[in-house]
Amino acid sequence: MSAQFEDGLSLFGVRRMMEGVVPPTLCTFSVDHMPNVSYLSVVEYIDPLHIALSYQFFNRSRENVLATRRAALTLDDPYTGAGVVLQIEYLRTETEGPVFEKLRAKLLSVASHVGMDDVFYLRGADVYRVHELRRVPGRKELPAAAPRVDIPTNSRVLSERMANCAELAELLECFLDGLGELLRIDNSMLWLFDSAHSVLTLLASRGYETGGAGAEISAGEGIIGTAVREGVPIRVGHMMNMARYARAAADRADSQGFRPAPRTGIPLPGLKEPRSQLAVPLRARGRVLGALLVESKHDQHFGYDDEDALALLCGQFAVAMSLMQPQEYEPPAREAPSPAPVDSVAPLKLRRYSRDNSVFLDDEYLIRGVAGAILWKLLAEFKRSGRREFSNRELRLAPELRLPEVQDNLEVRLILLQKRLTEQRAAIQLEKAGRGRMRLNVSRPFEMEMADRDAVPR
Amino acid sequence: MALTPEMIDLLGAGVGHQVGACTNAGRPSVCRGLAARLERDGRLVVVLSAQSGFEVLAAIRENGRVALNVTLPETYQSMSLLGRDAIVAQGGAEFRPLVEDRYRKFRAQLERHGIAQAYTDAWYLAPDEDLMTIRFTPVAARNQTPGPGAGSPLALQSR
Repeated sequence: MSAQFEDGLSLFGVRRMMEGVVPPTLCTFSVDHMPNVSYLSVVEYIDPLHIALSYQFFNRSRENVLATRRAALTLDDPYTGAGVVLQIEYLRTETEGPVFEKLRAKLLSVASHVGMDDVFYLRGADVYRVHELRRVPGRKELPAAAPRVDIPTNSRVLSERMANCAELAELLECFLDGLGELLRIDNSMLWLFDSAHSVLTLLASRGYETGGAGAEISAGEGIIGTAVREGVPIRVGHMMNMARYARAAADRADSQGFRPAPRTGIPLPGLKEPRSQLAVPLRARGRVLGALLVESKHDQHFGYDDEDALALLCGQFAVAMSLMQPQEYEPPAREAPSPAPVDSVAPLKLRRYSRDNSVFLDDEYLIRGVAGAILWKLLAEFKRSGRREFSNRELRLAPELRLPEVQDNLEVRLILLQKRLTEQRAAIQLEKAGRGRMRLNVSRPFEMEMADRDAVPR
Repeated sequence: MALTPEMIDLLGAGVGHQVGACTNAGRPSVCRGLAARLERDGRLVVVLSAQSGFEVLAAIRENGRVALNVTLPETYQSMSLLGRDAIVAQGGAEFRPLVEDRYRKFRAQLERHGIAQAYTDAWYLAPDEDLMTIRFTPVAARNQTPGPGAGSPLALQSR
C-alpha cells in the first residue's frame, strides 16, 4: 500500500501534528453540500493510510459523516506552525481492539481531570482511509526544534546500566536517575499497582519538593491510572489545552442535562501545572505491575520517540522487578547491638487498623496494606524478643502477611516501607542488613495498639 | 435573519476562524480565516489568504455555500455561521487593520497559555496582495462548542 502523498508527505511523517497546539479541525458536509466545521479531541495514527477519530457524541459531524462518508481534516505542526489538509473517507466504527483502547485511554486521562469521565467517554473509534495529504501553502513556518537528546543512543546506555543492577533498590535508583541524566526527564514518578485493592501506590519520584512515597490514588484515575487500566502508554502534549477542551465539553454536557455522579477531584500529582505528561505502563508476564509517569512544564516535551523508548525501558524494568525476588536466606551477619531506646521520652504510639492494615505513628498516617502488615510484624517481634534483624524469606513464609504465592513483590514493598519511614523521619527506621535481610532501628520506646476494626481515619 | 448581540460580540472577542466549504462534487475543504466582521447590510465579511485557502475559495465560487466557525481559545466557546450566497472577492488588503486587530486579541489569549507569537505568526502573515474576502448572508447558526449537541442550531434574530 502506498504511503507517499503530495510533496513527498507521509502520514507517518505528520503524526506528531495529530497532537497539535490547536485541536484538529474537521469539515464534513450534509447531503445538500452544506459544510459543517468542528474541532476534534483526538486523532490517532493507525498506519500509513489510516487514522482514527474519536466518536464521543452524536452530533452534526457524525450525522454528516454517516450520510456522505467524506471529510476534510486539518492538522497543525506543534513546533513549526506548518499545516496539512487531509481528504478522508469514513470506513467503520470500532468499539473494541487496540485502536479503540488507545483512543479511549487518551480521552479518559483528560476527562478524569475535570471529573467528566462518566460523560466524556469514547463511544467508538471512527476509522478513516486517507486519500490525500497536502501541505497548507503560504505559511511562514518556524524551524523544527532540535532534538532534546539522542533518545535511541541514550536509552541504550540507560538500558545497559539497568541490566547491570543486581538488586531492586539499585535498579530503581538507576532507572529514575538515568531518566534525568540521559533523557533529560527531570520529573518522574514510579507507581505500583495493587490489583487486590485497585489502588496505585507511589514507590519513588524525582524532581519534586516532596518524595511522596506511599501516596495512593485509585486505579483508573488520571493519566497514570488510565495507562495502568488500559495497559497502553498515554501521552498528552498540551495538558492545559486538552483540559480546557474537556472542560468546555463538560460545561456543554451540564447544559444538556448530563449529570455525572458527584466525585472528589483528584489533583494532578507532581507539577502544579504540567504542560506535557506521558504515562507508560510497567508490563511483564502479561500483567501490568504499575506505571511510570513523566511530566514537564513545557508543551510537547515528549514525542513519539520518548514513548517508544520509555515503553522499552519500562518493560525492561518491569521484567527485572518481577525477577528480582528476595534472595534466599543467608546466615545473618553478627547482629549489631541495638541502640537502647531512650526511656525518658514519651513512647511513640503505634496504631493499626486491621481492615486495611493502616499503621499510624502518633496519629499520623504512615502506610497501609502489606507494607503496613510487615512493619507491624517486625515491631511485634522486636517488642517480644528484642530481635532486630529479619530475613525476607521468613516474611514470605509468614501466613499472617498473606503474600500472593506467584508474585508477591515483597522487595518492592520493603523499599516502599523503607522510603516512607525515611521521608517521615520516623523514630523507627528500616535498613538493609545484607542480601535478603533487613534491620530495624528503633530510637524511641513505642506502644502498639490494635484499633477498632471498622473505622479507618484517613 | 440577523446575528444576536452575543454573536457579534464573539466575533470581536479574539476568536480563531475556520472556513469550511464543499464542492458540488462532494469534496469538502477547510482553511484558517484571518478576520470576520458583520457589515451594515447584515452580511458577514470574512478575510482569508488566497494561497492557503485556494480550495475553499474554489468551492465557494461553485455554489456559495460556506460555514464560518469562530472559537474563543480561552474557553472553546464556538459557533458556526452558515451561508448559501457567499461571494468571493479580491481587495482584502483594505481589511488589514481588521486582521491586525483580530489577530492581536486572538494572540493575547494564546500567549496566556504559553503559545508564542512566532508560532501563530505562521498563520497570519499573509501579504496584502494575498488577502481575499468572502461575503455572505448568515442563514443559520450552530453551537459548535465541543460536547453533546455540537452542531445544534442557534437562534438568529429577526432583522
